[in-house]
Amino acid sequence: MYDMDLLERTDTVNELLARYGVKFGIYKNNTFKEQLFPFDAIPRIIQKQEFSYLEKGLKQRVMALNLFLKDIYSEKKIVKDKVIPDDFIYTSSGYMAECEGVAPIKDIYSHISGIDLVQGKDKQWYVLEDNLRVPSGASYPMIARELCRRSSPATFENMKLEDNRNYAKLLRKTMDHVNIGGHTVILTPGRYNAAYFEHSYLAEQTGAHLVGSADLRVENDKLYYVTYDGKLKWVGAVYRRISDEFLDPINFYQGSLIGVPHLYDVFKKGNVALLNAPGNGIADDKGIYYFVPKMIRYYLGEEPILQNAPTYLPFYEEDLKYVLDNFDNLVLKDVAEAGGYGVVFGSKMTKQQKEEFIALLKKEPRRFIAQEVIDFLDIDILEQGKMVPRKADLRAFVLMADEPMVWKSGLTRFSRNPDSFIVNSSQGGGFKDTWVLSQ
Amino acid sequence: MKTLHFDYWMEISYTEPVTECHYTFKCLPKDTDMQQISELKVEIMPHHDYQRGEDSWGNVMIYDDLYQKHDRFGFHIQGTAKTGLTVGEKENSGELVGPYSYPYGLNKAGDRIKAYYKKVIETMGESCASAYETAMYFMNCLYRDFTYEKWITDVNTTAEEAWHLKRGVCQDYAHIFIAMCHLAKIPARYVTGMMTGEGYSHAWAEILSEGIWYGVDPTNGCTVGDSYIKIGMGRDANDCKINKGIMTGGGLQTQSICVRVEEKPE
Repeated sequence: MYDMDLLERTDTVNELLARYGVKFGIYKNNTFKEQLFPFDAIPRIIQKQEFSYLEKGLKQRVMALNLFLKDIYSEKKIVKDKVIPDDFIYTSSGYMAECEGVAPIKDIYSHISGIDLVQGKDKQWYVLEDNLRVPSGASYPMIARELCRRSSPATFENMKLEDNRNYAKLLRKTMDHVNIGGHTVILTPGRYNAAYFEHSYLAEQTGAHLVGSADLRVENDKLYYVTYDGKLKWVGAVYRRISDEFLDPINFYQGSLIGVPHLYDVFKKGNVALLNAPGNGIADDKGIYYFVPKMIRYYLGEEPILQNAPTYLPFYEEDLKYVLDNFDNLVLKDVAEAGGYGVVFGSKMTKQQKEEFIALLKKEPRRFIAQEVIDFLDIDILEQGKMVPRKADLRAFVLMADEPMVWKSGLTRFSRNPDSFIVNSSQGGGFKDTWVLSQ
Repeated sequence: MKTLHFDYWMEISYTEPVTECHYTFKCLPKDTDMQQISELKVEIMPHHDYQRGEDSWGNVMIYDDLYQKHDRFGFHIQGTAKTGLTVGEKENSGELVGPYSYPYGLNKAGDRIKAYYKKVIETMGESCASAYETAMYFMNCLYRDFTYEKWITDVNTTAEEAWHLKRGVCQDYAHIFIAMCHLAKIPARYVTGMMTGEGYSHAWAEILSEGIWYGVDPTNGCTVGDSYIKIGMGRDANDCKINKGIMTGGGLQTQSICVRVEEKPE
């Protein structure tokens, strides 16, 4: 399928990635360490037909999630109709009451969604997580493809392959669709953010201005960016890579130094588009994840195309009983955590840990979900010239303009540790390009 | 029913000029079932054309971003309020009863409040049938068991911390009271406002019972009647802070507040 020539160039590609600053920052024990994001040259290949199945399922899922967000911050029909218990909304850290009654431009909440999938040994795909806040990762396969083509042009000569370098075009279209007429900026928290490389790369590729909060100012209910010579340019859309709580120190967390005062008020008046909309965290919530298939049926009247991993909510008594009876076969996740933190496997706990955990589970059932451990389909990586199987997932990107668009690629992340199921880049994993065949 | 005249003045003076200032005031009382506001006069210092908006809780917001030098900053609100028109406000927030029903921010109960709540419930007996009666019982207990004292707590003190200290101000009374109501599954919200007399602004709570929001003032151990003027509301004090701001420069600052509410002779 792929040329051995490409694999032989792994080191060259990794050197180029290092030179371009393709790094991933990690906070560990309160210190910031930037490390290279190791690239494995063996691509994950997805057949055309299989991807078109994923595409349909992803579009459906993101459509339902958008309708959910709109409903939650206005009429709350899904709560009134008792499809989702109100506990799961109002006790979620992702629910933001400040968004009540606020309609984003064109009713789009999730302009850029990162949906994490895994493929089981039975070849069945499962959705593991929906990321609707500030999902990162698209830039890595984008630049990797570019560098692979440069290092091994022969590989791509006769390949019938979707070109994933069009991500910038899709993103630009998404930003322009909601821009109210001014400039487009990408707002980064700065150099020390884990995904700073991505912010600068996407700005360069889309032609948006890369700005920090100090480059922006609100005046008379409008947002401006200040040019190097002090001129004010009106901003119509902000692709913000800052999480909600830090976005605006007047309206949200007051101690934020990376936000822009009153940005949220400008947004509320419809004077600027924010991508993604504030308040999306509720759809990211691991407790809400359980309800996504129900949402699809509720809002779209369709059967979900993509499956969730089998999930239990200890909040429900019968689920709690199941969890206690099958504890060793399950993975337990703290709903408030992300990035691979707060994930524990029942089988890997000592007796004492287990007892403590079960006590906590009974005390705060709303805080956890339990999932069957999916037997992932291993995919090969190169390790010291040898192919070895490793666990991997796929982050697919869905962008929403006048209709949802699925990027025909994705970030494949793998665990370098042969015994680990956790593939998050914040846990030190590596990545692959994802090839979607066009024929 | 009363006709009250109110005068609320807040000013911050700086030893060095402020070069940039971002502020949001939620300082304007508005009409409710219980009160009717007229002859409202608003003055913002330094004088400028400000922005107006409304937050999710229905509070009026006055806000702006100033890039002009100033060494004094504040507001002056005056007006007339007809108060005590009804005993409570009809519930018409519709979608917001949810957020008012769950612990949030500064009103979250910890183990200490939960233990206190348990004790209170045990002594309550069967007589408190409605949410209103239960809340009244909580108010009386809190009025008895908590002591009013200034400078012990600050604006960021949580209900749990204040309860541990057993002393605090109106904000703390309101937060602990709301925490207890939530434990009893009674929707409750935080209210800012003014009371007859001279001094500072005041804070209390409202609870929902049978479709009506009733004002409850645990600091004074009484229900809210015609000597109160409501300004804002939210889940906790942060949702309806009367004055929020961020400034650059300024040196040392001194804040002066004077709230005066008196009955207007007919």
